Amino acid sequence: MTSKSEQIVVTKDLKKTYKADGIRVEAVRGVDLTIEAGEFSAIVGPSGSGKTTFLNIISGLDTPTTGEVWLKGQLLTKLNDRQLSDLRRDNIGFIFQAYNLIPVLTVEENIEYIMMLQGVPKLERHKRVLSILREMGLEGLEKRFPPKLSGGQQQRVAIARAMVSRPTLILADEPTANLDSTTGTGLLKIMKELNQHRGMTFLFSTHDPMVMDWADRVITLKDGHIEKDERKN
Amino acid sequence: MWFYIKLAWRNIFRNKRRTIIASTAIGIALACLLFFDSVMIGMEKTMVESATATFLGDAEIHRKGFRDKQEPDLTINNLAEVTHSLSEEKIVDRFTLRTLSIGMITSPENVESVVMVGVNPKTETYLSTVNDAVTKGNFFKGDSTRDIVIGADLADILHVTLGDRVVVTVSQAKGGDLAQELFIISGIYTTGVKEMDSGMVFVRLPKAQAMLGIPGQVHEIAVKFTDIHYASNDKLFFWNKYSQNGNEAVSWGTLLPQLKGVSKFTGVLRFVMSAILMFLVLFSIINTLFMSLYERLFELGVLRAVGTKPWGVIKLMLSEAGALGVLSIIVGLTIGLIVTGITTVVGIDYRGIEFAGTTIQHLLYPVMKPFQFIVYPIGLFIFTIIVGLYPAFVAARMSIVDAIHKSL
Repeated sequence: MTSKSEQIVVTKDLKKTYKADGIRVEAVRGVDLTIEAGEFSAIVGPSGSGKTTFLNIISGLDTPTTGEVWLKGQLLTKLNDRQLSDLRRDNIGFIFQAYNLIPVLTVEENIEYIMMLQGVPKLERHKRVLSILREMGLEGLEKRFPPKLSGGQQQRVAIARAMVSRPTLILADEPTANLDSTTGTGLLKIMKELNQHRGMTFLFSTHDPMVMDWADRVITLKDGHIEKDERKN
Repeated sequence: MWFYIKLAWRNIFRNKRRTIIASTAIGIALACLLFFDSVMIGMEKTMVESATATFLGDAEIHRKGFRDKQEPDLTINNLAEVTHSLSEEKIVDRFTLRTLSIGMITSPENVESVVMVGVNPKTETYLSTVNDAVTKGNFFKGDSTRDIVIGADLADILHVTLGDRVVVTVSQAKGGDLAQELFIISGIYTTGVKEMDSGMVFVRLPKAQAMLGIPGQVHEIAVKFTDIHYASNDKLFFWNKYSQNGNEAVSWGTLLPQLKGVSKFTGVLRFVMSAILMFLVLFSIINTLFMSLYERLFELGVLRAVGTKPWGVIKLMLSEAGALGVLSIIVGLTIGLIVTGITTVVGIDYRGIEFAGTTIQHLLYPVMKPFQFIVYPIGLFIFTIIVGLYPAFVAARMSIVDAIHKSL
């Protein structure tokens, strides 16, 4: 394998089979895909098409049955649990559908957690948290606990948490699913700006046509393989 | 680590009711252990004091063989030298001389076997509580050589009371001839110790020596130390020093081995109580941590997904176990201090109950020792952490995908 410096994610003949209630399920059936730096892409497809399993594998949360997956040139199947943790910490930002902020941590603590794992000094963490909260329009909320925020505010905190450590790739699972269209559009706008101005790579898993409209590339999965891969000009 | 402790502390209060129930259960168990331990120490102290203060003394010196045979010939060797030396001992507070002989006491109504004790009333009052236990008459306040003080139970057996006459018969030293003397009852005592109240009579020392044919000689020197703990020190030079020239010096522990066994018995009970506490901790901590774990499996999955290593999850779970342990310790120490503290002042009434051959004569006051409030809580905390390892490892080894099921 040659250098994949511009290629953030590369998969080769990726397959994943598992058993659910005793039934063998072929969730991913030989996916070859490359995600390049700076992409704003969406993986779409009906339920059971393999989106979730595919994203779990490329983020190092799950392992493929066969095939290879590289993240920033590192072959994930060769890494152990600790190395995968470090890889995710330093390279991937996660945005979950249900926000999934830690409710007993304040907004500031939620956002600085990954930086803390990275060993960023406290002062620097604080500076970066305040800066990103300003950028997200969440100024003054740093001491609030998540349950005291609206859904839109919580999702913005989740985006802030995902990007504050300056990851290579941000994986967003249905980020607009629990939001109204105005809030959803606002968040997509923020993410698009981050993509354009900071060169962050975004990969969405979604059903939302609005997300597909914003995406530069739409990859359609069906029955575990890529049915369509469209790039917009 | 501080971050995990902060997070753990906040996490355990997410379900306040569960945390309060778990910490109260463990806390009460700790309080019970503290209380029980204090009662045991107090009981041991009370029993030893009861046994030694009533008659025994902290230590006794006899001629070797006397304790087994009780023969009147076996008087203490070099008595003058021994008593002189004892009076010079810094660790000896008081001592008294006694003769001891088995004999018969006869009243017009009945006859009973007794131990006749020849005592020096002045020094005896410092070593035994018979003087204080006299309920009728007095303890040799008159100057009659025929005064005798007997127990209330014996008085009932003999159908006698104050001022009545009784005859005591003993066998003399050197030949075993019988000697008889008439005495007039000058005092009746009740110690609560059955053997004493029904089988021990006190006469003046010179009278007893004369009856036994051992003028100037005694069978026993009862010793009271400046601190009773000297009696428990087997390496004390005192024992060797006074176990020479055919004599032997022994502590109350040797004289009343059953009482010494109480210490071992309380040790076993303490172990049982500790085991019960540990089981409570085991189930409470495991139950609480697993319930907490499964309630927020998704959160732990998210923490792992964003880069927390398995060791980070272990630290978090152990911090939660530790936080629960600290909370339980605070509850336990508070309840333990209040309950035990009150009973150390008020006391527990076990008077009259016989245990290990000793009748408890005073209110039982639990004794609190600093080690209880250090060793037990620290032990509990360490055990809590050890128990927390199980749910911690389960959490650390869980599949991230399963934890955040249906997310990514």
